[in-house]
Amino acid sequence: MHMTRARRREALAFYLCISPWLIGFIFLTVGPMLYSLYISFTRWDLLTDPVWVGLRNYTVKMPNDERFWQSLKVTVLFTLAYVPLELIGGLALALLVQSRIRGIRLFRTIFYLPTVLAGVAFVVVWLWMLDPRGGLVNLILARFGVVGPRWLLDPDWALSALIMMSFWGWGRAMVIYLAGLQAIPGELYEAAAIDGASGWTRFWRVTIPLLTPTIFFNLILSIISTFQSFTNAFVATNGGPLDSTLFYVLYLYKQAFEFRAMGYASALAWVLFVIILALTLVVLRSQRFWVFYAGERSDG
Amino acid sequence: MDNDRSDLHIMRLRGRRLALRYLLLAGAAVLFLAPLYWMIASSLKPEYDVFARPPIWWPSPPRWQNYVEALTKLPFGRYAVNTLIIAVFSVVGYTLSCTVVAYGFARLRAPGKDTLFVLMLATLMLPYPVVMIPQYVIFSELDLVNTFWPLILPAFLGSPFYIFLLRQFFMQIPPDLEDAARIDGANLGQILWYIMLPLARPAMATVAIFSFQFAWNDFLAPLIYLQDQSKYTLMLGLSFFRSSFQVNWAYLMAASLTVALPVIILFFIAQREFIEGITLGGVKQ
Amino acid sequence: MKHNTVRLLLAASLVLLVALSACYAPATPATAPEPAAGEEPAAEEPGTVILRAGTGDSGEGLNPHQSIIADFEDQNPGILVQLEAIAGRDYYTRILTQIAADRAPDVMNIGDDAVPSFVSTGAFLPLDECLASLDFDPSVYLPGLLDPGTVDGQLYFLPKDYSTLAVYYNKAIFDAAGVPYPEDGWTWDDLLTTAQALTQDTDGDGQTDIYGIQLPANWTTGFEYWVAAAGGSLISEDGASYVGYMDSPEAIRAAQFYADLYNEYAVAPPPADLSAFGGGNSDFDTGKAAMRIFGRWPQAGMLENPNIDLGVVGTPSDAVEANILFWGGFGIASTTEHPAEACKFLSYYAGPEAAKTWKDWALPAAIEVAESPEVAGDPFNAVWIDELGKLKPRAYTFTPFWNETADPALRKALETILIDPTADVAAVMQQAAQEAQSALDELLAEQGG
Repeated sequence: MHMTRARRREALAFYLCISPWLIGFIFLTVGPMLYSLYISFTRWDLLTDPVWVGLRNYTVKMPNDERFWQSLKVTVLFTLAYVPLELIGGLALALLVQSRIRGIRLFRTIFYLPTVLAGVAFVVVWLWMLDPRGGLVNLILARFGVVGPRWLLDPDWALSALIMMSFWGWGRAMVIYLAGLQAIPGELYEAAAIDGASGWTRFWRVTIPLLTPTIFFNLILSIISTFQSFTNAFVATNGGPLDSTLFYVLYLYKQAFEFRAMGYASALAWVLFVIILALTLVVLRSQRFWVFYAGERSDG
Repeated sequence: MDNDRSDLHIMRLRGRRLALRYLLLAGAAVLFLAPLYWMIASSLKPEYDVFARPPIWWPSPPRWQNYVEALTKLPFGRYAVNTLIIAVFSVVGYTLSCTVVAYGFARLRAPGKDTLFVLMLATLMLPYPVVMIPQYVIFSELDLVNTFWPLILPAFLGSPFYIFLLRQFFMQIPPDLEDAARIDGANLGQILWYIMLPLARPAMATVAIFSFQFAWNDFLAPLIYLQDQSKYTLMLGLSFFRSSFQVNWAYLMAASLTVALPVIILFFIAQREFIEGITLGGVKQ
Repeated sequence: MKHNTVRLLLAASLVLLVALSACYAPATPATAPEPAAGEEPAAEEPGTVILRAGTGDSGEGLNPHQSIIADFEDQNPGILVQLEAIAGRDYYTRILTQIAADRAPDVMNIGDDAVPSFVSTGAFLPLDECLASLDFDPSVYLPGLLDPGTVDGQLYFLPKDYSTLAVYYNKAIFDAAGVPYPEDGWTWDDLLTTAQALTQDTDGDGQTDIYGIQLPANWTTGFEYWVAAAGGSLISEDGASYVGYMDSPEAIRAAQFYADLYNEYAVAPPPADLSAFGGGNSDFDTGKAAMRIFGRWPQAGMLENPNIDLGVVGTPSDAVEANILFWGGFGIASTTEHPAEACKFLSYYAGPEAAKTWKDWALPAAIEVAESPEVAGDPFNAVWIDELGKLKPRAYTFTPFWNETADPALRKALETILIDPTADVAAVMQQAAQEAQSALDELLAEQGG
């Protein structure tokens, strides 16, 4: 490609800028990733050497593995349900706490709190709250005359319970939205207000379009991380009851460390990789239709 | 000046709108605080009362000694120092490295950039448990196991999550300021330092908070890299309350709450930076 | 030109930063930690051997480890022991990672069901030679306690602690209901009638307030006792068949009885949490269940619990008397660089000397300590130790693939019968047997070709 000197300098500057990441990528990431790809063609119990089995993990083991399909179904359902909820919920919270009224800093901290506490202790609190026989949730429902379901003990409700639990993690998205909201130049609101735009119009015509890069970010990250959900299921249900909350990465982890089938686990990982990559590429491609970058540089 | 402008687009709330806002906030707050309330209540009960049925809504008397007992069972002070060291290095490393890398992705054109961007995102898509062991082997060959290095080094090499965040942020900023500076003869370093860094502060503060929290709460990496207990982090310390066959819930709650406190306080104080931070009202044509 | 210089500087500083980080001396970049009570950050002295010992114990369970290590170090200057402890499931994640990277600790504590697979893959050293060189006589242990650590006649592990199942009961609830305490030699029918007599609705609101017996929900290992007591086995002796065993009449009887206790007779409180070890119920601990069948681990806490006036009795029999053994032991990693020192430490760690310390935390494995008046005189210990006479083999001893084939299927079966009172128990067990069998067949096929 014929580049002008200026362009060449710019390219050099680019590679210089990304060198920290690139170095890490080459030395700490690519190797392990390719190694795990190799392992996915083997059978490895971690205690002896890997044994080559070719495509067996992919063509024989996986398609016949009922729990694989189950975990895929669980994870897809969960992601389809949770991602939109997180995108909207996080934004709602961010808008709620954006104002500079008294005590707002406390409220922001309160909404962010559950993300900090996330961990075994927090999940266990949920186990108690969802206890069908006397937990907070069913007690409250009883006040309204509703007999609450058995939540984490009921295969039909356990996944919904986990979705519900995840709402408390909206704080992360909220914070990112808040940072993104800050990048919207105040004068645009000024101009809109002067032109007589109402609050609602200002929201749809100014805030949302200029927030699209942040929404885009949250969407991609949400897809990538929700597909890999692990901790809540690991602690709260261990995949049960009846594998109704057997998340994909949880199943992968079990295969790797409980059944010591690291080869199969690696194959599972790569299948997940392809799925997530495909989805992400779709979203990336869709960028030009709905994401507006104020700082877009048109290639001259 | 800045205050006026930012207040304007955040409408002055008065009267009914203010009341409504507070109502919504209070309602959401109650929901968000519910689990926390139960954690605190549990942490103050004697162990055998934690799961009493009907539930004990608030223990009387509250067993404050649980906190002292839980935190003295293990050297949490040392664990805190260890975790703090890792966290501080993480924050410094990630904020600096990711800002620079993100700028490259956001503003500079180069062949292969889009592919590299997708590649970078792709590294987030392979679950950690399968790269954990080969990475461990690498660090083991470098003889860095049982040190803090495997936990700190990656910070200086950026993280796709934060790089992506900062990149989006940069791309939201109109390039006018940089263009003007470039015309005036500023080079890359000057642009980065004098223009982008100040503008990126809200996003950088966000990265700082997230990376601190991640380092503070990380479990899996310390689990495999830190062997002797004098190097353990707080999360590893917390796992001690869960033995194979039983869990001491009251202690676990007390310790978990205490461990979370620094991050919460940090957030409360630092939110000024990334929420009430600099607005871009200063960008003029 | 200005551009190039600055860019060059930027490049240089980045490279320098990375180089510094990577080339920095591989030591802990931290303030030197002051040793806390019982913890030993390794101090390097020429000629000192540092042994690493891994264990899945945690919390207060580490105290005996630390005091034994301290004693050993006093008696053996020149050897330091670094204890690497982490709780539960995470322990296996850690040691598997370490073994895979050839960085295993020298001495490791593992559970009985992990023994076959670890030994068959050569992860541990046979102990005969090393023990002979130290004149260590393995007959110091109670009979049967060396078996879980022995594979194909070779000894690989020395016992650390063990437990069987037993039935705890709360005398206070029995007294209040006027029911006589359970006695050794009782049967499943006795269990049922006792539990029924104790299950009460004390405040007349239509809901049971006190339950007869708290059962461990979907705990698959515990379920092996029920099948054994009914006279059955979950797997064939050659380890190749689940069909015909997991769905045998005995296994179905056991599952039916278990499910009936929950659903039909409602003498067992519904499980609280299917992910927790043993169902997560707290009814016994809060004085809302009269009995509980479980291992010895929570006994110390129960003794201190004001809600419980504790008694212990052996497991009831059905077709036969049965019980199962849970066991943990210490072994030496085959990759150790200090086999002699590791052997010395191992024989101390698990030996009769250290058993005196262990006895305060778990049942002692050494005969000498088990028969000492202090231990034998304790009424609770007597019950546990007597149960050793009723042991039936654990399922894992018949196949190294129990964990990945039968366990998930059995767990699902138990969950099904617990959650769905209308489930056809026989059909559920048959399904479990089929699932386990096909998983086993698939695994064997994989290994074979």
